[in-house]
Amino acid sequence: MMIPFIASDSEASVVDVQLLTLGTAIVVFIIFFVLAAKFVWPQILKGLDERDQKLRDDLDSAEEARKQAKSALAEYEEELAKARTEAGELITKARQAAKAAAEELRSNNTRELAEMKNAATADINAAKKAAIGELHNEASTLAVAIASRILDREISSEDQQTLLSESLAELGQTK
Amino acid sequence: MFPFLASNNPIHHILDKPISGTEHITLLGKPALTMHMASLIIAATIAFIVLRCAAKRISIGKESEGTDRYLTKGRLSQIIEVITIYMRDKVIQPVLGHDTNKFLPYLLSLFFFILVCNILGMIPFADIQVVAGKITESSEMDWAFFGGTATSNLGVTVGLAIVSFFVIQVHAFKSLGIGGWAHHLTGGAPLYLLPIMFPIEFMGMFIKPAALAIRLFANMVAGHTMLAVLTMFGMMAFSATQNWLLTGSIEAVSVVAAVCISFLELFVAFLQAFIFMFLTAVFIGQMSHHDEHEAHAEATH
Repeated sequence: MMIPFIASDSEASVVDVQLLTLGTAIVVFIIFFVLAAKFVWPQILKGLDERDQKLRDDLDSAEEARKQAKSALAEYEEELAKARTEAGELITKARQAAKAAAEELRSNNTRELAEMKNAATADINAAKKAAIGELHNEASTLAVAIASRILDREISSEDQQTLLSESLAELGQTK
Repeated sequence: MFPFLASNNPIHHILDKPISGTEHITLLGKPALTMHMASLIIAATIAFIVLRCAAKRISIGKESEGTDRYLTKGRLSQIIEVITIYMRDKVIQPVLGHDTNKFLPYLLSLFFFILVCNILGMIPFADIQVVAGKITESSEMDWAFFGGTATSNLGVTVGLAIVSFFVIQVHAFKSLGIGGWAHHLTGGAPLYLLPIMFPIEFMGMFIKPAALAIRLFANMVAGHTMLAVLTMFGMMAFSATQNWLLTGSIEAVSVVAAVCISFLELFVAFLQAFIFMFLTAVFIGQMSHHDEHEAHAEATH
């Protein structure tokens, strides 16, 4: 039975340094390092740096956007407050104008009503006066006619006038 | 019993072995092709392929993908991304400062290479191959082509430490200049302490990477030895008692304990890869040109 491992163990020790193994380790590691330095680490480190840069840029732009949004919000709020003030002023002015217009309208109406009332009163009075005058005339004419028939005589115009005046006076007293 | 699996010495499971069928190929009297070498190559290949796939997924995609192109797809890629970001921002950047980007590829390669070696060592590939060979063929030969923890081989860890040593020293010369490098060897102490400081600092230059190598090696050996011991308890019980019931009971406890230790080993695999990489970064950082030190030195003069 061939047992190469155990056969060589009697001479070997863990602290033996085999020059060939040492040389192999150096050569293998240097080859690995050269290949890794050429094909691995530049890519990885570049990727990490680009990712870092991207994160930083994104954070910066997010911060910038936040600042812009904040200033825009402040601006909008300021404009909104201004618009509210203006709207308030406009409403107050409109109310005052409406109030003034209503007041004017009411005073006009009142005045017109008063004028119409006065005119109507004047008309009524005039009509009343005319009616009374006409009534007096009719009454006097009628009275003269009646009286003429009763007395069967003509009454002169002076008499008629006297009678009329007296009658009117009596009528005035009775009214 | 399989001789490979049934070795009565737990250290045998950690030792490097020649690849099956290549025992006769030797160099300087030692096997020229060993399983740890194969494991190193496989680990490097796996690490490169995984990292390459992750790199494609981590990099930013085409514009036609919209905002999705900024997303990393796949969990493994996300894990690698998170590890890379953590290493860069929290570990290497504080130590190396403006030199971070220069050394990042080396340090990350070191970390992932050691990590993959450590994790591959957690999977008993050699034992699986032996068992599979026994099942599929009636050969009495133990067939295994790769396996074992490459980082439990002192040769491997010393090799990695040597690379780190050169990286540290080359950076020191470039950053500090010959004068600065020599000044660093005095430890900044007064001139009369030079006979003491110089040998200490000079030895320290080599001891630092040596400590890296020994730390990684010792941790890997210790963990795997413990796992081997735990899994061998059942066999030892059977050899001693020939009682299947007792062997089964002991083996059950051993397996539970081995599973628990395996979790610890998984943590150690990450931790040791991190420590090797981190201390290399620290040693590089110590050899960097520090503006504030210079300013302080000028102010005191």
